[in-house]
Amino acid sequence: MPDRALDGVRVVEFADETAAYCGRLLADLGAEVIKVEPPGGGRLRHARPFVKGHDGDPNASLAFWVHNTSKKSVVLDLETDEGRALARRLALTADILLEDNPVGFLAARGLGYKDLRSEKPSLVYTSVTGFGQDGPHAGWAYSDIVGQAMGGIMTLAGEPADPPNMIYGRQADISASIQAAQGTLMALLHAEATGEGQLVDVSAQEALSMAQETAMQTWDFQKRNRVRTGELGMLPIPLPATGVAKCTDGYVSLYILAPAGKDLPALVDWMREKGLQGPLDDEPYRTIVNQLNMAWLTQLMSDPAAAADVLPHLPVITKTILDFFATLSAREAYEEGQQRQLLIGIVSTPKDIAENTQLRARDWFVRIESPLGGTVEFPGPPYRLSETPALIGRPPRLGEHTADILAQLR
Amino acid sequence: MARKPLEGLRVADFSWYGAGPIAGNTLSQFGAEVIRVESETRPDGLRRVHPFAMNPDGTFKSGYNVSGYFNNFNTGKLSLQLNLNVPKGQELAYRLIEKCDIFLTNFTPRVIEKWNLRYEQISARNPRIIAAYAPMQGLTGPHRDFLGFGAVLTPVTGISHMSGFPHRPPIGVGTNYPDYVINPGHTVTAILAALRYRNRTGKGQLIELPQVESVINTLGTAVLEYLVNGDNPSRMGNRSLNASPHGAFRCADDPESVGSVDRWVVIACRDDREWAAAAQALGHPEAARDPKFATFDARKANEDELEALISSWVRDRKAEDVVAALQAAGVPAGVVQNAQDLLERDPHMRARGYYQYVEHPEAGREAHDGPAFRLSATPGSVPGPAPLLGEHTMDVCERVIGLTTDEVADLLAEGVLV
Repeated sequence: MPDRALDGVRVVEFADETAAYCGRLLADLGAEVIKVEPPGGGRLRHARPFVKGHDGDPNASLAFWVHNTSKKSVVLDLETDEGRALARRLALTADILLEDNPVGFLAARGLGYKDLRSEKPSLVYTSVTGFGQDGPHAGWAYSDIVGQAMGGIMTLAGEPADPPNMIYGRQADISASIQAAQGTLMALLHAEATGEGQLVDVSAQEALSMAQETAMQTWDFQKRNRVRTGELGMLPIPLPATGVAKCTDGYVSLYILAPAGKDLPALVDWMREKGLQGPLDDEPYRTIVNQLNMAWLTQLMSDPAAAADVLPHLPVITKTILDFFATLSAREAYEEGQQRQLLIGIVSTPKDIAENTQLRARDWFVRIESPLGGTVEFPGPPYRLSETPALIGRPPRLGEHTADILAQLR
Repeated sequence: MARKPLEGLRVADFSWYGAGPIAGNTLSQFGAEVIRVESETRPDGLRRVHPFAMNPDGTFKSGYNVSGYFNNFNTGKLSLQLNLNVPKGQELAYRLIEKCDIFLTNFTPRVIEKWNLRYEQISARNPRIIAAYAPMQGLTGPHRDFLGFGAVLTPVTGISHMSGFPHRPPIGVGTNYPDYVINPGHTVTAILAALRYRNRTGKGQLIELPQVESVINTLGTAVLEYLVNGDNPSRMGNRSLNASPHGAFRCADDPESVGSVDRWVVIACRDDREWAAAAQALGHPEAARDPKFATFDARKANEDELEALISSWVRDRKAEDVVAALQAAGVPAGVVQNAQDLLERDPHMRARGYYQYVEHPEAGREAHDGPAFRLSATPGSVPGPAPLLGEHTMDVCERVIGLTTDEVADLLAEGVLV
């Protein structure tokens, strides 16, 4: 058994959708994370998609699995005196209490930070909610898309003609959890050094603010709002070899004009090897292909008139390039393009990720027990620590550890 | 003044662009001394891109020190100019690392090897170092030298395929999204875990954070749909498998929202109770009783019609009023806010004081993202402005590395400290 970074740390978790991933990060790093669940389980236990043939089974939600690896599960009913009393005794055995309930919910049940700190001053108490513990919106109802909207990232995503786009994957919850993990570990280090615990307050809205990229500073400096620009991105006009290209079986994203990797002539070399360079070796295209790079683009943005000679020819170049990619598989376009130092990204589907050459070569996927019996292949950890690796353990079945943990309290 | 939790720790920040420097920024906000190692021979690209601070006459300021993009991610750091392409520069890097607790980089393995900054090399000089490498694809493997940045990670990790409307190609999410929270946040999490281990054992370690792996870990549900169920799911816009209605709805335009007058609210009804409350709050309680919308399955079956109906209810109303009505009824809802909203119009963000303002010697007064988590006893804060390029070269060489003034002068003349 390798050493564990969070060996000896006990976390008692009253979390459902927003803080569970934080608990998972701590659990995979070696903390004992005891998830206290209501009878029947919370929302995430009942979230689609389920393992095929197990719709509605609280042990079969794939989203629950992803957010709850390596934990233990105890069912307690906080709406009863007995449940609250047991929860309190359990919480007082913890180094860290992690929760994502509406503000005031746990305090009303004798499990608030102030209730517990008087008995356990070293307790780190981490609350992860939509809007944090104070302020006029602290009591607002929250779910992931609300965090993405209020945090400023949806306004940047999507085509202008469409509604703003949500980012897949519970990204407000995930971001809040990742921020919470950092704050919790800082507070743990402080508590271990000094004996002083504290409250860690995370707002999903604030957690995402950094992901506005430059929008915040653009307003601050220039009093302009960045808006969603869809496929065009930051470009003033569509340009060749930038944006999405359709392949025989999927898509790739092209960034060949970006200031990394080789420029357009290297792509035309590849096209020529396949006899698909079209007219690009002929004038005027040949000259334009040689000059289309970031420096030219910068000039274009400051002086559009200077590009007037070039612009009418761009559609032919773009079409020739897109016709080339239409002959390749997405994986071929990505892997061979990158070998040629062309900045190309495959638009991976989940199947592409499962088959990704690099991930497989690095043995990233792990095989764990399934809560339903047997084993399943599972996405690997976000990081590799040479001395104290993150290890992914089976998500718990609902209430699986209730008897064991309660026996410890008696 | 409360002590910050990471006081006494020193970080050698050999990173650039977004994901690496933001990890350093978090450590800096919570008290670590973070030394950004930079070179004019290879300046951080973010120093040279918009948004730039403005002069009073409306022109943009210029130079390496006035980009809000760079400045926001490097608060309170020290800047050491060091040319890692020459052997004396590499030796100075080792001497710096000897005086540090944490080493941080997001360069590709090819560059790390060229600069002789592999873990075996730096840990030989400082066995207690916690060395965090966050390259795009990892330190090993057939794709380890593949090129990329945040916007390339978005397609490669599956975010592009899984986000946006199904009738659109996979255009991505408008930003270098994984650079800002997922990757720096995972990096700092691993560093803090390694610090705890070092506190207990005295041992440093190697942290490898392949950005691709870090991001895909957060998209695990979609990956499991393939691995466990053999399905290959795809994007479904703003809809959800678990809530209906779940989406963004256009409200009345707001001319005061500069350059961004279209206003939208998001609404998420996770059960029949929330849907009935939403319909009531928006003045149409009868809709919740309509058999076409009365149950979750019915709403999913008629979702186009449901969304059109809600759009008709809100299209002439002010977005903030719609959200206030829904929130009063306990329904998850929010305005699709822009930066103007977040900095100036959202009363909650202002009340919590999330953004912090500092004076920068060249850029002027700047807004900064404050700490993204609040510690009640040992709070973080924006510790000061980002450094000018090379601003602390002399200080770091003398105070931290222990060179004499004459030695520094020689190294400057030899082109090592550039």
